[in-house]
Amino acid sequence: MAVPPRGGNRGERDTRVPLMEAPPLQLAGVTRRFGARTALAGASFEVGPGELIGLVGPNGSGKTTLLKVVAGFLRPDEGQARVFGLDPYRDQARVMERARFAFAPPALFAGLTGREHLVHLARIAAPGSPRVTAAEIDRALETVGLAERGADRVAAYSFGMRQRLALAQALLPRPELLVLDEPTDGLDPLAILELRGVLVRLREEHGTAILLSSHLLVEIESLVDRLLVLSEGRTLFQGTPAELLEGGAHLRLRVSDVERARAALSEHGLRVEIAGGDGRELVLERGAVSLAEAAGCLAARGVALEAFHEERPTLEDALLERLRAAAEARP
Amino acid sequence: MTLRLEVLRLWRSKRPQLALLGIAFFLGLMLVGFYTYAQSRTGGNAEFRYTYENRSYFNGLTFAVYAFYFGSLLVLPIFAATEGGVQIAGETSSGTLWLLLTRPVSRARLFASKYLVAAALSVLLVGALLGAALGIGLVAVGWGDLTLYPGVLQMTESRQDLTQAEALFRFALVWPAAALALLAPLSLSFLISAWSRSAVNAVGTAVVVYLVLYIVSEIHFFQELRPWIFTSDVAYWRGFFQERIDWVAMAESAARLLGFSALFTALAYRRFRIREEL
Repeated sequence: MAVPPRGGNRGERDTRVPLMEAPPLQLAGVTRRFGARTALAGASFEVGPGELIGLVGPNGSGKTTLLKVVAGFLRPDEGQARVFGLDPYRDQARVMERARFAFAPPALFAGLTGREHLVHLARIAAPGSPRVTAAEIDRALETVGLAERGADRVAAYSFGMRQRLALAQALLPRPELLVLDEPTDGLDPLAILELRGVLVRLREEHGTAILLSSHLLVEIESLVDRLLVLSEGRTLFQGTPAELLEGGAHLRLRVSDVERARAALSEHGLRVEIAGGDGRELVLERGAVSLAEAAGCLAARGVALEAFHEERPTLEDALLERLRAAAEARP
Repeated sequence: MTLRLEVLRLWRSKRPQLALLGIAFFLGLMLVGFYTYAQSRTGGNAEFRYTYENRSYFNGLTFAVYAFYFGSLLVLPIFAATEGGVQIAGETSSGTLWLLLTRPVSRARLFASKYLVAAALSVLLVGALLGAALGIGLVAVGWGDLTLYPGVLQMTESRQDLTQAEALFRFALVWPAAALALLAPLSLSFLISAWSRSAVNAVGTAVVVYLVLYIVSEIHFFQELRPWIFTSDVAYWRGFFQERIDWVAMAESAARLLGFSALFTALAYRRFRIREEL
């Protein structure tokens, strides 16, 4: 996709893209600066129909800036964002006919009840769109576990309940693109499980494209098709969870003489680290060698291999390693 | 639908109810002020309650004029500034503006809903102040004919005499006129609100700007500046208490106020339309 400079004002429609063929979300080289600080640098990715993308990164990595660009709250300094082929900054209202957002922390109208939120927000709809029924509202409240508290004012809600209501409003009317910012914050384990079920149903039954932002990968790793990892505004990784894990396996060896073992393995061009504990354990990096090869190498030097095991990192470990490596590489 | 939501939220916010309480408190204070003033000026021999027998020029209608004068120029603009400040800057700082902007509603419609609701509240508050001032005047003092004398408040340049019926009709005319005058500070507060991301800053700034401009417009030293300051015209409704209404002067003032209101509103909308939500 070509990356033209920013241009056009809010409210001026961009009709160049055929809307029906455009993917739900497309970012190409999106950069956004705040003064001298670059909050987002050249972010490029696409979310297709029915896809669930996880947006991950530590605090301040640029996740919220990216979501604000997608929502049309911020205008990219470079690159372009398209939601169903529309520029969200210029055509915000039309984008919102098909996309729903739930930002963190959940901001709601304290004086209204949970049900009133859903009734009034859901009925701010595009002209000609079917009216959201009372049954749909009941179902949404039930889905997020607020059926019993729907008549209570939001001022009396806990943080977790607010989070649930924010999710419920994002589900009505059912969107084609759903963007959720830290949706699991404040939710109990059962609610997180229910949320996962809702997201799976949305994508599988209705083909809803979902962009899910979280600073905790562990909460979304089982759901996502692909991951976009941001660090200090830059895209650190983009791919499937399996790709993030690639090469992440370690071989941990317990040997009789750690120094001789390290020398022997290093001679074979392997990067070896002495692990913690009693100092008799070695770690071979990222599965660069098979166990048989390593054992043979050690035996040739008269080092006894007392124990071994292969360590497969979790997705969280793999992510942390990449973040650490990125931090170390920075000047 | 946006308008209905705004009305419901305004009602639930309790701001209208608090404003009405504020008006009641202000009028109570005015009544005590009038009474103690009358007592001190007459050595404690004031006949505060108006009767046709005592023929005092001071009666419930006089009280209503002066109470409305101070209320509409000093109290209601604060409520208007608060409403303007809350509608955009307040929603920005609380994050609820995002909730509305992520719905299929244009910024123009959203802005119009907010402005209409705030303007409607302002019109109602003007009516409430006027009605309550007249009601309290009737109950606590008693109505009679309205006589106004020239004084420091520049209510009139010469003695004016209106019958009770005529004066009540003039009060009815004052309502829309004063409501129109209140649109200017309301629009100014929307303009400041569209630039600010804090309700406190927006309300505070709007109130300070209004008061400074009002003081400037009242000082003769700034005579040359008066046509360029909207506060020069905000008390134009006083003209309705002249025996012979100068309709041309009234229309000019109203047009200037409408012009200022339209300018502030247009600038506020322009800012709201193009601004980014940080």
